[in-house]
Amino acid sequence: MDDRLRETLSAMMDDEADELSVRRLLSHDSQDEVRAQWQRWQDVRDLMHDGHSPAHGMDVSVAVRELLDGRGSATARPDPAVQDNKASRWHWPAAAMVAMALLVGFGAGAGWDSSGAGPVQPVTAAAPETSVQDQPIREIALQGLDEEQWEYMSRYLLEHAQHNSVGAGRGAVGYARLVSANGVGY
Amino acid sequence: MTQRNLVQAGQLAIKSGNPGNQSMTPDTEKRQGDHSDSQTDLQLVRKVRNGDRAAFDLLVVKYQSRVASIISRYVYDSQEVMDLTQETFVKAFRAIERFRGDSAFYTWLYRIAVNTAKNYLESRGRRPQGSADSAEAENFDDGSRLRDTASPERLLQREQLQKELNRAIAQLPEELRSAFLLREYDGLSYEDIAGILECPIGTVRSRIFRARDAVDKHLGPLLNHSVT
Repeated sequence: MDDRLRETLSAMMDDEADELSVRRLLSHDSQDEVRAQWQRWQDVRDLMHDGHSPAHGMDVSVAVRELLDGRGSATARPDPAVQDNKASRWHWPAAAMVAMALLVGFGAGAGWDSSGAGPVQPVTAAAPETSVQDQPIREIALQGLDEEQWEYMSRYLLEHAQHNSVGAGRGAVGYARLVSANGVGY
Repeated sequence: MTQRNLVQAGQLAIKSGNPGNQSMTPDTEKRQGDHSDSQTDLQLVRKVRNGDRAAFDLLVVKYQSRVASIISRYVYDSQEVMDLTQETFVKAFRAIERFRGDSAFYTWLYRIAVNTAKNYLESRGRRPQGSADSAEAENFDDGSRLRDTASPERLLQREQLQKELNRAIAQLPEELRSAFLLREYDGLSYEDIAGILECPIGTVRSRIFRARDAVDKHLGPLLNHSVT
């Protein structure tokens, strides 16, 4: 930051900077530098007028910025931004459950013959690993799929995963549901 | 040399050339320029509304100390003060479209801070005390609670900073010091200072900047921030 910009920042401290200068300053590449200089001058001002140390640990600006960016965790108290983050953790397990339900429904709907296929491991995208062996084997027999069906299923699951990774916001409709509702392509 | 002595030194130097000026009294310790900052604040608010997050950063840096001080009148735990200060700014950011500019930005922010602290106390079953009127915001004495609860280390650090600040100001060339003190302690506009010092406004602007820069360089190593 050159001296001219720093002089503008100094004038801003005193409410003497014009609109154009402020705009130029705020469009400067290194905003961290601008902010750091501003902060030091504010600290000096606080020290001059209030007699308390600026180093009393009350710099919350970074935490505020992170909270507003939705990646803050500095506060111990519940905050909507933080809660949003927590909520998003459920998206992938939910997607896995939808995929699982889809597999069950798809298998049943396509009339795959699972009889005599023998014991197979259920295919799940992200199902819990703990209880797999204890659960009864489900009526899903992917071993019986031919090449075309495998390709079909793989493509379907890939698109489902892509859809969720892009549009996994709150209220987004899972790809599986969307497809089953519209019946497009499948 | 104390702050008051510095002010007197600066003002006496000026008064010797301008005996008729009545606005500069040695007792003027309060920052008179505080409430004339609305223009810069409004500029920054406009930028924030246009999506400029950096502008909001500057507002946070500018007012965080005062907001923390307000909140510390209601909540005494330093971690709670910090959390509520953050929350105040987050709320302010989200509500900034509703700031109409009828009052100063700081007055508006003050109300948010007080209400945030009160709501917090009520949610904890504690009875909030005090009120949030704008007159109080205008005359609010910063940081008294923070000063009272500072640790011995902080007190020592503060004392050291204060000494260094006084030393830095005392070492400024007279023309820089005069302009700087007239601005900081008397809250005079650049135009008024230019009239008193009989120099162009641009010179005043430059002198204040150079003074600020020199003080900053002098205090630099001591102004160490603990980012939370």
